[in-house]
Amino acid sequence: MTHAPVIDIKNERRHVDDLTPALARRAGFTGVLVLVVGAILGYVFGADHFAEQFLRSYLASYCFFLSLALGGLFFVLLQHLTYAGWSVVVRRLAEVVACAMPLMAILALPIVMAVLLGWKYPFSWANADVVAHDALIQKKQAYLNAPFFLLRTIIYFAVWIRLASYFHAKSVEQDTTGDVELTRRMAKVSAPGMLLFAVTITLFSFDYIMSLDPHWFSTIFGVYFFAGSAVGIFAVLIIMAYLLQREGRLENVITTEHYHDVGKFMFAFIVFWAYIAFSQYMLIWYANIPEETEWYHVRQTGGWERVSLALLFGHFFIPFLALISRHPKRRKNWLVAGAVWILLMHWIDIYWLTIPAAHDGAEPHASLHLLDATCLIGLGGLFVWSVAGRLAHQSLIPERDPRLAESLAFENQ
Amino acid sequence: MSDPVAATVAAPHEGTEATPEPRELFGLLVEFKHEDDLLAACRRVRDAGFSKWDAHSPYPVHGIDAAIGIRPTILPWIVFAGGFAGMLGGLLLQWWTNTVDYAWVVSGKPYFSLPANIPIIFEMTILFAAFGAVFGMLALNGLPKLYHAAFHSRRFRRVTDDRFFICIEAADPRFREAETRALLESLAGDAVERIEERGHTDPPKLIMHVGLVAACLALLPLALAARAWYSKSTLPRIHPILNMDQQEKFKAQRAHPLFADGRAMRPPVEGTVARADLHLLGEDDHYYYGKIDGEWATTLPQRLRADVPGLLERGRERFAIFCAPCHGMDGSGNGPVRLRSDELGMPLVVKAMHEDAVRERQLGHLFNIISNGINTMPPYGDQVPVRDRWAIVSYVRALQRSQLATTADLSEEQRAERQRRRSGND
Repeated sequence: MTHAPVIDIKNERRHVDDLTPALARRAGFTGVLVLVVGAILGYVFGADHFAEQFLRSYLASYCFFLSLALGGLFFVLLQHLTYAGWSVVVRRLAEVVACAMPLMAILALPIVMAVLLGWKYPFSWANADVVAHDALIQKKQAYLNAPFFLLRTIIYFAVWIRLASYFHAKSVEQDTTGDVELTRRMAKVSAPGMLLFAVTITLFSFDYIMSLDPHWFSTIFGVYFFAGSAVGIFAVLIIMAYLLQREGRLENVITTEHYHDVGKFMFAFIVFWAYIAFSQYMLIWYANIPEETEWYHVRQTGGWERVSLALLFGHFFIPFLALISRHPKRRKNWLVAGAVWILLMHWIDIYWLTIPAAHDGAEPHASLHLLDATCLIGLGGLFVWSVAGRLAHQSLIPERDPRLAESLAFENQ
Repeated sequence: MSDPVAATVAAPHEGTEATPEPRELFGLLVEFKHEDDLLAACRRVRDAGFSKWDAHSPYPVHGIDAAIGIRPTILPWIVFAGGFAGMLGGLLLQWWTNTVDYAWVVSGKPYFSLPANIPIIFEMTILFAAFGAVFGMLALNGLPKLYHAAFHSRRFRRVTDDRFFICIEAADPRFREAETRALLESLAGDAVERIEERGHTDPPKLIMHVGLVAACLALLPLALAARAWYSKSTLPRIHPILNMDQQEKFKAQRAHPLFADGRAMRPPVEGTVARADLHLLGEDDHYYYGKIDGEWATTLPQRLRADVPGLLERGRERFAIFCAPCHGMDGSGNGPVRLRSDELGMPLVVKAMHEDAVRERQLGHLFNIISNGINTMPPYGDQVPVRDRWAIVSYVRALQRSQLATTADLSEEQRAERQRRRSGND
């Protein structure tokens, strides 16, 4: 079908064993160090409010990195579900990002512990005193209670770890066996996998983010969180491909065409995110019922209105206009700059979801806390440790995937 | 214009019997069996500098754009312009209808409130972008194209099946028949064919006349619509969808053949009263009308006196729902509707419950005002049941009383407390 020059992957550098182990060690060490030093500083200077502030900051950064891993899982599931050929050369990267799931399961411990201990933060519904004075939370106790929360968390991570490791392991197995049957099996698993993914990511967003404000509810919330996760993974894929190529890996394998396509996906999900965000906003704005508007009220006061506007423009209008043309999507430097910007916006989005809700009583004020930064760097270091560590000891592309040739020769018309 | 099908049938292969009119050379056609040959040939023709030529294939061929040398299309700009126009149009349409043409307050929001308009703007953007894409594509491609000179070639029919063609037109400035033929013959194609067509002729008279009549007829609906728009009619309106407009059902004040007396509305069964019409019995005018022997009642109806605290509590709740929006929670006349009406510059007159005129009204009179309305206040009899109206009236009395408290209303302890504070202050 095609007339692009045939690329022989044998001539490509497609391993990073010489680079990433050292990077992983450094990132992991830095992450733990910053997390611990930040915690000590926070404890010394914050004293009374330390645990509260730490858990809030921790939850925000945790949800950010988990959303990236979830996005990776979504990307892999989607490619198998649709028999996608174009994406084969970048699929291994997404598989590896999804494999951060066991780390994310361990990192959930502080949050789960706070719930089990019945602390008032980050989730006020976990605290018996709060519940005793709150008729609404009492009615929601059947769902919002510590043992069930723990059980759900276990189920989420069981599903995610199983799916992520399944697709990664089968894909790596195919590198040696070249068995086409594996591709068929992965396609079969991806359909129920996608259904499980949809249910678990929705309920996770309800449990870990929406229940920060236990009176408030929005049925579209899971889709909103998912849209952000998808935007995040496309940005991550672009940045990863760029960094690898800068180190001389996969130089001819990942072409402008692939950047263009991932860029198109990123653009599409930016629009999807805005669509969902507005759908949620408009219904609440129109109905104007206090029990629903309170969530937006705290995000339109005390400095948060600036963050909200920053999201409206930074997460939608600016990237929409910047990426709508095909030219920026086909210029690597522009696209990478856009991806970095989008990733930053995605973090602000998650921050905006988690932090204002976590203040009970007093009107929250938008101000960056030291612990916000240390948790971001700390968890980021650990996340990089997981991803970079996983990248080693295997090829950066699914070498014997039956659709590899199609992907290598892929062209946008 | 000749019939292309007939022309194809009478193509050169079939024999060249009598072509009465002179034929003009349209161009040279060459056939290929393989896609790759077509692509290679296209590159040669492109490099030879031709501009009026085209490649024909049964399906879209990857890389053909570059091989023919087609410049990037301007279609994206047309789509963008369409989308932008749709966005602007949607915005202006809603701004004009909501603020200029038919200003109307909807759920207390400003006339022009952007969030409510976004869905329409969004849909209009998509619609006009899609129009731009479809019609722009058709226009740029010169579609629909019902006739092409290559239809005269019998072998060209296989272009919808398994053959590929290049056709260079004689109108191309670089076209020299011998040289061009030599170029085409050097390609990996089959025999080069001359495509001829009759020169330009006027369409047959019949087609012209039919077209003229059709164009005139097409104006008729417009003319009829215009007449209907600018004239008045005394005829009953037309019912295009009969089963919705004229349903087989009983309607009030109409005849109906089902019953012996021919009336659709049925009187109540002899000796009965509908529950909603109990007030018509005249047995408790105090309760239903607030009147005793034709005078406004000054007391609560007997049947409500058993639980006065409960009644007041109910009244407080109902008052907050039905009355407070205008009269305010404390009955001072400063409810949100009233405040909003001031803001909009068309103030409502809202009575305060504490005015003497209102305080001096009898209980039954207040009840009647809630039931039937007064001045600009609409009646609430249909929305608030009788018992709740009495509950509200009782609560209004409590509200009025609350503004007239004296020391006599305080309990012993409260009075002592007050005394102590006073002496403390001195």
